[in-house]
Amino acid sequence: MTNDLSWLLKFIVAAVVASAALAANAADPIKIGISITQSPPGSVVQGTQVKDGVEIVKDMVNKSGGVLGRPIELVYEDNQGIPEKGRAATEKLITRDKVVAVTGGHQSSVCLAEIEVAKRYNIPYVNTNCWADAVRTKGYPQVFNAPIYSSRVAESIAETIVKLGLKRVVAFCENTDYGIGQAKAIAEALKQKAPGIDYKYETLDRAGKDFTPAILPLRANPPDMVLMVMLPPPAYIVMNQLYEQGVAPTARTWLYDSSGLADYPDFWQNVKEAGKYMLNFALYHPQMKLPKLAQEVGQAYRQRTKNEPNRLIFQAADSLLFIVDAIKQAKTTDPAALIKTMANMKFEGTRGQFRIAKEPGARYQQMVDIPSVTYQITEVNQATGKTLLIEGPGMPLATAKLLKPAK
Amino acid sequence: MNRSQHRITTEFWWSLAFLAAIALVPLAVSNPYWLGVLIVSMYFALLAVGWNLLAGYTGQFSLAPACFAMIGAYTTGLLAYHLKVAPWLGIPAAIFVAAVIGMTLGRIVMRLRGPYLALTTLSFAEIMRLVIGNSYEFTRGDLGLNVPGLFEARLAYYYLFLAVLVAVQAGLYVLMRSKAGLYLQAIRDDEVAAASRGVDVVFWKTAAFTLSAAASGLAGALYGHFSQLVSPELGLLLQTGLVICMVVIGGIGSLIGPLVGAFLVYVSSEMLREVGGIQLIVFSLLVIIFARFFREGLWGLAKRVLQRRTA
Amino acid sequence: MLNVDLLINGLIIGLFYALMAVGLTLIFGILRVINFAHGEFYMVGAYTYTFAALKLGTGPWFALPLAFAAGALVGWLAERTLMRPLYTGYTSWGLMRDEYSVVVTFALSLLLINLVDKVVGPYSQRGPALVDIPRMALGPIMLSGQKLVATAVAAAMIAGLALFIRYSSWGRQIRAVAQNRLGASLAGIDTTRASSLVFTLSGALAALSGALLAPIINASPDVGAFPAIKSYVIVVLGGMGSMPGSVVASLMLGVLESFGAVYISYDYRDTFGLVILMLVLIFRPQGLFGEKGREV
Repeated sequence: MTNDLSWLLKFIVAAVVASAALAANAADPIKIGISITQSPPGSVVQGTQVKDGVEIVKDMVNKSGGVLGRPIELVYEDNQGIPEKGRAATEKLITRDKVVAVTGGHQSSVCLAEIEVAKRYNIPYVNTNCWADAVRTKGYPQVFNAPIYSSRVAESIAETIVKLGLKRVVAFCENTDYGIGQAKAIAEALKQKAPGIDYKYETLDRAGKDFTPAILPLRANPPDMVLMVMLPPPAYIVMNQLYEQGVAPTARTWLYDSSGLADYPDFWQNVKEAGKYMLNFALYHPQMKLPKLAQEVGQAYRQRTKNEPNRLIFQAADSLLFIVDAIKQAKTTDPAALIKTMANMKFEGTRGQFRIAKEPGARYQQMVDIPSVTYQITEVNQATGKTLLIEGPGMPLATAKLLKPAK
Repeated sequence: MNRSQHRITTEFWWSLAFLAAIALVPLAVSNPYWLGVLIVSMYFALLAVGWNLLAGYTGQFSLAPACFAMIGAYTTGLLAYHLKVAPWLGIPAAIFVAAVIGMTLGRIVMRLRGPYLALTTLSFAEIMRLVIGNSYEFTRGDLGLNVPGLFEARLAYYYLFLAVLVAVQAGLYVLMRSKAGLYLQAIRDDEVAAASRGVDVVFWKTAAFTLSAAASGLAGALYGHFSQLVSPELGLLLQTGLVICMVVIGGIGSLIGPLVGAFLVYVSSEMLREVGGIQLIVFSLLVIIFARFFREGLWGLAKRVLQRRTA
Repeated sequence: MLNVDLLINGLIIGLFYALMAVGLTLIFGILRVINFAHGEFYMVGAYTYTFAALKLGTGPWFALPLAFAAGALVGWLAERTLMRPLYTGYTSWGLMRDEYSVVVTFALSLLLINLVDKVVGPYSQRGPALVDIPRMALGPIMLSGQKLVATAVAAAMIAGLALFIRYSSWGRQIRAVAQNRLGASLAGIDTTRASSLVFTLSGALAALSGALLAPIINASPDVGAFPAIKSYVIVVLGGMGSMPGSVVASLMLGVLESFGAVYISYDYRDTFGLVILMLVLIFRPQGLFGEKGREV
């Protein structure tokens, strides 16, 4: 090839590359990392719901022009619900995909591993559904918390127990940080509010298949309430076996769930009769008053999946909205700048208006105040909207309304 | 030198060449994600080499290599977490603890063979995993233990792992080249005959268990400080299964097979993962095919090709 | 009364364990190998039952024999392709036949788990109950209709198997081969066919137990790990190869776990069996009921 020709070719190649780079930069998407569970042993059901929530917000944001003139792009990694894989997934998102923020975390043990990575690289991490106090008490400035936290849940549940006038409560919790942490927090809260109540918790193996030996002792000596601090699938097995052995729910013993089991799409398929009369601590009920944004997101979710929305969808939506708002306010995608902006933000999401709390401890960088409700299931296969709302924001516990089974 | 020594020496030089190539990779690849993949491959290579000593050379098919890695990782992890012991002390402690437990296990299973040995080591591994997982007050159970790192730069980890791998491989070479190597293989081929020829079977079997456990413990400790998170996941039977796949595919009972097998299986599993989770199907099929038809694995195939070229 | 409840619950669980483990015992008796893919035969049965009943619409009662057949097929295939070389001499492993069987069945287990995971998906599926009665009282105890039916079927199968082994001609052949392979073949018994039959039966029984328990223990790709470990413990405890021994050992294990969970520790429930396994292998390798004499 002659000298001139080869120079011409080099010039053309350079021009093409340069213009491609320019074109790419113009619509260069903002990448946000989503680390969720997409395969077992973690909760795939939760992961799918988080994904739905953030996808809805992404579509809404991109439809109205994106942020700072750029579309947002969600990069997913599967952490399988395993802390070690969560660590690897977060590393991948930050080092390989160069995301500006990470969110989606929905299992406490995984969150705890992932925030270490976020801290190391100084990337903002928005916790979507990890309730464990430990995620907050570590005091990492990179971590912001959208869901409610365990000690707040414990206080709420303890109040309900006190108001119901119970004397003896047995809790079944799973052998994870969430389960044991929550059970212990409830013990603490009860000690403060009503030291006379007899409260015991029993730790069950998440991998177990038969919990009858743990349930049988309760047949002889039934407590006033059995409290569930477990997640599916073992939670369903426990509920079915509690029902099979006639321990709870009965006329003598309440069954109370603190983990939002009834929110799961596969709840009724797995428990059937065992779910009737169950009391639920929940963070969403269709009869709650929520901002217009919640209606929009809820509608979009119904169209997308033909299911009713639940708290997880709104938490996921709020997580992504929070990041988007921060980018808008900071006018940059630089992670360090985002962290500074987030620390002082006031934010309006699908669940209401929030500010970021500053006190060290369980409320560190927590969105406050998350509303909560208590409701009772009164029929098998009942939709959440038809359940009996017993307690909510602005509505004190109406014990008189509660139903009891015949035996 | 005799034929066995000649073969082992050839394998050793080839393995050094392979490791030298690995040493040069960072010149071409700087993405920390892929460097991380190679570092984890080195972790598995250490486990594979250790297990090969016990199973490939001494014929003791223990199902506990991942368990010893977990023990090593937790030793250094717990020391760091509760007593703030520095890694440079924690890692030797991990080697020591793993070796002692390995030696004990070796003594316990001395008279067992084949499926009995496999079952006992499997139970041992599962018991350890369950105990560690359930002692969440002490070990933080399934949550995982946060462990301090060693360096800031990933490249430093890369070369540390590589150096350890080379050292272990060299040590194995020296061992297998000596009389000890002949004793171990004699035990594998026919234990009764070996004993009748004066080989101290008890001593050498125990030695094999101890060394293998020590190598696994070292690997686990290093990995713990690299990933900065130690969890009972490390000791899952699945991990042992991976190690076995790697050794059988690479070529069991050779000095280079486990090395190549580890890198090949792990790197391609990461690459295949993008495609969609068929890596374990492919690998387990390969193991079945190799075990059924071609015991010498990939290294055996490579040797055939080489011999045909040079013959 | 709590202890009566625990005892009966333990016996019921023990019976399920027996159904799971008896196939493995047979294999060990005749081939002297542990099939590490045993749990996956169980898993195949659980899935076949669930899918046949729910997706193919055969209903649970027809799905049971389908699961049995599926397990038989997988067992037969495994023996034909992987285990046969052990005694026909085609393997390149020469003297290391035990090691070969460990590696090959382990790899088979991995293969089956990941194949199912890929083809069917990793989510657990709840098999439909045979009888739709969620709870009923039977004397002092409460149980679900499914548990009652499953217990009855399991007991029937085990009794049937015992009769088969004891009185049928195939059963006698199997026992002969288990006692002395060479001698049996000299006496004109087709040892290969006996081995094939045993593997097929083992697969079928494991699959059946998977199907019976699918409504209680949902089917998932890794569901096999749980019955596998229990089966290993039982085979060893009962005396490798002794069928009555493994039945008794199963019941004992079930009861021990039931009481241990309440009185000793719930967390470590699964470790009881494993500790027993190790102790037995170390100190009394012939198990509680086996015969002495297990040389290299």
